[in-house]
Amino acid sequence: MKTHLLRIAALASAVLLTASAVSCTGSGNAQKRISFSWWGGESRHEATMNAVKAFEEKHEDIKIDVKFGAWDGWEDAMTAAFYAGTQTDIVQINWNWLDVFNSDGSLFLDLNTVSDYLDLSGYTEAELDPCTFDGKLEAVPVSLTGRIFYWNRTVFEKAGLDVPSTLKELYNAGEVFREKLGEDCYPLALAEYDRMMLMVYYLGAQYGKPWIEDGKLNYTEDEICKGVEFIDSLEKGHVIPSIAEISGDGSITFDRSPKWMNGEYAGIFEWDSAASKYQNALEGNGDFVVGDYFSDFGKYDGGYSKISLAFAVSAKTAHPEECAEFLDFILNDPEGTALMGVERGIPINRNAVSVCDAAELLKGIEKEANDKVLANAGFSFDIKFEDPKLKTSPEGIYYDAFSGLSYGEYSTEKTAKIISDGVKNVLGETGK
Amino acid sequence: MKRNSGKSDRLTRHEREGLQFISLWITGFIILRLFPAVFSFIFSFSDYSLFGGISEWGMMNYEKIAGDITIITSLFTTLEYSLITVPLRLLTAFGVALLLNRNIKGMAFFRTVFYIPSVLGSSVAVAILWTALFRNDGTANALLSSLGLPEVNWLSEKGSAMFVISLLRIWQFGSSMVVFLTALRSVPRDLYESAEIDGAGKVRRFTSITLPFISPAIFFNIITQIGLAMQEFNAPFVITKGGPRGSTTLISLLIYNSAFQMRDLGLSCALTWVFFIILSVLIAVIFSTQKHWVFYADETEEL
Repeated sequence: MKTHLLRIAALASAVLLTASAVSCTGSGNAQKRISFSWWGGESRHEATMNAVKAFEEKHEDIKIDVKFGAWDGWEDAMTAAFYAGTQTDIVQINWNWLDVFNSDGSLFLDLNTVSDYLDLSGYTEAELDPCTFDGKLEAVPVSLTGRIFYWNRTVFEKAGLDVPSTLKELYNAGEVFREKLGEDCYPLALAEYDRMMLMVYYLGAQYGKPWIEDGKLNYTEDEICKGVEFIDSLEKGHVIPSIAEISGDGSITFDRSPKWMNGEYAGIFEWDSAASKYQNALEGNGDFVVGDYFSDFGKYDGGYSKISLAFAVSAKTAHPEECAEFLDFILNDPEGTALMGVERGIPINRNAVSVCDAAELLKGIEKEANDKVLANAGFSFDIKFEDPKLKTSPEGIYYDAFSGLSYGEYSTEKTAKIISDGVKNVLGETGK
Repeated sequence: MKRNSGKSDRLTRHEREGLQFISLWITGFIILRLFPAVFSFIFSFSDYSLFGGISEWGMMNYEKIAGDITIITSLFTTLEYSLITVPLRLLTAFGVALLLNRNIKGMAFFRTVFYIPSVLGSSVAVAILWTALFRNDGTANALLSSLGLPEVNWLSEKGSAMFVISLLRIWQFGSSMVVFLTALRSVPRDLYESAEIDGAGKVRRFTSITLPFISPAIFFNIITQIGLAMQEFNAPFVITKGGPRGSTTLISLLIYNSAFQMRDLGLSCALTWVFFIILSVLIAVIFSTQKHWVFYADETEEL
């Protein structure tokens, strides 16, 4: 018994000694540690790491622990982190996370409380509004994004065509592709969520009203049915492959699809911020160009934009001022914004825009696409548009509706009803 | 009196040591098994959303399970998957075990080769490889084309997608094969010799000696394989994502999607319990049949 007691005492002393040694080291330097997480590709990681290093050099009393990775699996990991309360102090978030993870507003710090450290003058009130809930600024937006056409011009040239600038030309390209390039070649490829997006843009151009307004679905079932018929006509006209054909490719996204890489799919309707991913996938084997919104789509500018991503500070952080200082560095400071560049899209913040402009960073395909998106964006996406019950694959409403239509299980009327009921259900309307 | 007391002390110490030895397991069991089980049972009666908390208690999840066609279809799909894969996997394993149960030079090499797929396990990497084999421009279609046969949309047609994920499970028959092989090698040789002298043919020897002797191994394989097949997750998650049109959404994938994609933890917990009860009943039914067809050697000795 005595031996046992001695062993336990020795172990306890060792643990206590180690703990006190660790705490001594921490307090000796008086260095404050904050953590920061983001997702992205290699170039974004590199730019962000450089900004982190530059900030640490300027603020020797602050150390930033970083956590980053690719988007694949990132949302699942963050779901677990938010649920367990183990998120980092500063978090790069998808805009709709403010609704999905933070419905009670307790997850993130109100950034108005640290406005002495974080300069918000680079934003207009309207720009901060989508991140403001009940008067609390829960995140700062980084950039705006929207969907736009991208074409592999080389394939169109092979078919003797120029890239389409009207809907009529797109329908024609479907037929020409079938005749000249073969049954497996399509001018455009749209998965289920892309179809939903294109339909909403089409309806916006046709009717000139946003998809959701004042928390309510703004379209009747008949109006939605018109949009569904439009998507159906694209598949029937050999403009887009069926969902079965896309599933058979065995790729999660088109940038990993051999059919995109070898030119069997010659167009996509994607976020402007995703341009380089699809361009790189072609590995120089195609002339990747930004398309135009079709002039005969409808009489209105039916485009949409949304905040592509934002930065939030965890309400649990022990160092809110330091977190705000770091955000200020990467969003406003000439050195920080230059290092961050346009790796997260064309910045909204005017201070960052002037720095990027002076550094000649505002050019290239991302800039061209972003300009077109913003010029056409008559509406903003509602935060509920990407609700998990609607957007997730394969259980979400958008996926069920458009795969059911493509597989011939749903009529256009039934597809429209599924979308209408599903959206109303998420919005808390009675629906049926 | 003194001796008795000492004996009692020693026994207590042994018990204490025993408890110490299993304390780690008990801790793990409580934290990783018991607590989640109790947690999921309680929350199966709530509308627990992963980030929205609980606003209502009741039977709503169980009512949804009883009336939701997607969930009922998923339960039947899981049963269908098990009914396809378990018999075919066991027949393949048994057939190969019979072939490998011979004393031929180099047999150890072949035994290893047939076991390799099981070493790879139902890993994500193998599932990704499977996708590459069966996509429209994959090896399977290339093979069909070279034989002049029409190509198949393996991953995008309901029947063929189920075939693809089933084939992966059947292919990994190594562990069942090893159990069969061990059982086959434990059948006493002299019984075969005696039967042969008595004029028993190959079929009679197989049905009257081999099958009864290996019946415990068959029983073991059926129970474990049904349990594993019903819980399959990796193949539909990686290869088909449950598609096309939910035709390969096995119940474990549906539980995952409900909890982590739809954030409906309450429904996910209720699904887990319904699935647990179905699986338990199924296993209990199979157990109840064993006295009719499973032959244990030690029972005859007692008789």
